[in-house]
Amino acid sequence: MVNFVSLAREHWVNILVPIGFVIGWYMDKQQDQKLTAFRNRSALYGRELKPGEEYTWK
Amino acid sequence: MLKILIPTLFLLPTTWLTSSKWLWPTALTQSMLIALASLTWLNNSTDVGWATLNSYIATDPLSTPLLVLSCWLLPLMILASQNHLSSEPVNRQRMYITLLTTLQLFLILAFGATEMIMFYVMFEATLIPTLLVITRWGNQTERLNAGTYFLFYTLAGSLPLLVALLMLQNNAGTLSLLILPYTKPLLLTPFGSNIWWAACMIAFLVKMPLYGMHLWLPKAHVEAPVAGSMVLAAVLLKLGGYGMMRLMVMLEPLSKEMVYPFIVLALWGVIMTGSICLRQTDLKSLIAYSSVSHMGLVAGGILIQTPWGFTGALILMIAHGLASSALFCLANTNYERTHSRTMLLARGLQIALPLMTTWWFIASLANLALPPLPNLMGELMILTSLFNWSAWTLVLTGAGTLITAAYSLYMFLMSQRGPLPQHMLALPPSYTREHLLMALHLIPLLLIILKPALLWGWFA
Repeated sequence: MVNFVSLAREHWVNILVPIGFVIGWYMDKQQDQKLTAFRNRSALYGRELKPGEEYTWK
Repeated sequence: MLKILIPTLFLLPTTWLTSSKWLWPTALTQSMLIALASLTWLNNSTDVGWATLNSYIATDPLSTPLLVLSCWLLPLMILASQNHLSSEPVNRQRMYITLLTTLQLFLILAFGATEMIMFYVMFEATLIPTLLVITRWGNQTERLNAGTYFLFYTLAGSLPLLVALLMLQNNAGTLSLLILPYTKPLLLTPFGSNIWWAACMIAFLVKMPLYGMHLWLPKAHVEAPVAGSMVLAAVLLKLGGYGMMRLMVMLEPLSKEMVYPFIVLALWGVIMTGSICLRQTDLKSLIAYSSVSHMGLVAGGILIQTPWGFTGALILMIAHGLASSALFCLANTNYERTHSRTMLLARGLQIALPLMTTWWFIASLANLALPPLPNLMGELMILTSLFNWSAWTLVLTGAGTLITAAYSLYMFLMSQRGPLPQHMLALPPSYTREHLLMALHLIPLLLIILKPALLWGWFA
């Protein structure tokens, strides 16, 4: 039987980089939302989206 | 962008907390995962070119290939250094990996920066880990001298750039790369403008390096451990080319006259450094001078400022990055076996290590720009745009290409063909690690043939 305790003690550090990826992914998403908050809402560029159109720009 | 940056940051505690038995495998796999994740940057589907944007960093078609190259280099450097560091205490091994990771962090921030000042700060910051790697892990006492040259050439060259950038900030009110192309040109006295132009360019021309300001490079390459040479040739020199391409767009209309001496010097450098290669006895020094020669061509392509010149420069930078890094690794495999860089002492290796000769062959052919490889594509585009500017440049670039072919073949024949010398009685076999290392260098280079559009920059 695999000794999970020793396995975890030996290899727990391997989780750090994936955690970093998840944090990075979350922060990227936050930034995207921040930077696109006014997409298609300004007086100059706001318009009705065509059917099937998702964004005005990306 | 942060998807790559934060895992790289987390690689630092991982390096220090992992058990010594697992240090190298962990560092290698984790950095390889980051490198593979960075490949997603190549899939740029935005309308404006800029992607993965946040307030400070972003990728665009110009920086993406260089960013991916810097991420790709970290696992390769770790793979290459494993044997070199195996006799050291484990904490020093950890320190070494930490420095390489820090370097990748700075490089990502430098290539990804959307502010010129952040680029400048990161450009300078990359000096620190590189200097430590050269002066601490180099093989001979000359490494201290090489470190001094490396540091002071780059610092002295880039101080005027800081002043020029602060002036620009003062006048234009911004240093953002997204806005700078649309700002008004700086109004100075004619002499002042010329000085300002030179201040903006010298830092990058030293880093490239331009012939005449290149003396730091062979020293640094020869004295650095294998990872130092790899990252220096593959990525750090490209910081110069990248910075020049970024700043060139706002140096109009001054550049038209100002570039003449620099183009001439760059092309003359191609011939001169190529000729130096022809009479080299030191393997690493030969590869270093061949880097100067190739980067001279890149400098010519950038200074000529046509779309073809820029695209060719970017293609050649990436292709040269992979090929020269591969050559440094091969030189290191020789060095680990014979403990000498002198080519005369390690000849006829084809008999002893035949598979390694295959890698030598492919890497030499990549260095001399064999037809389907991206090296040739880059060179041809630069040659064409230079020829379009002045037919006389063909004399210099043509001779340069010929000399490049000659010294690449000289290097291959000198190290691989002929009888094995008597003093080589016990050569260790080549390891799977070394074959993997070479494959990871050369397979991307061969794959780029199939989709060169990844390296075309803004003009794709």
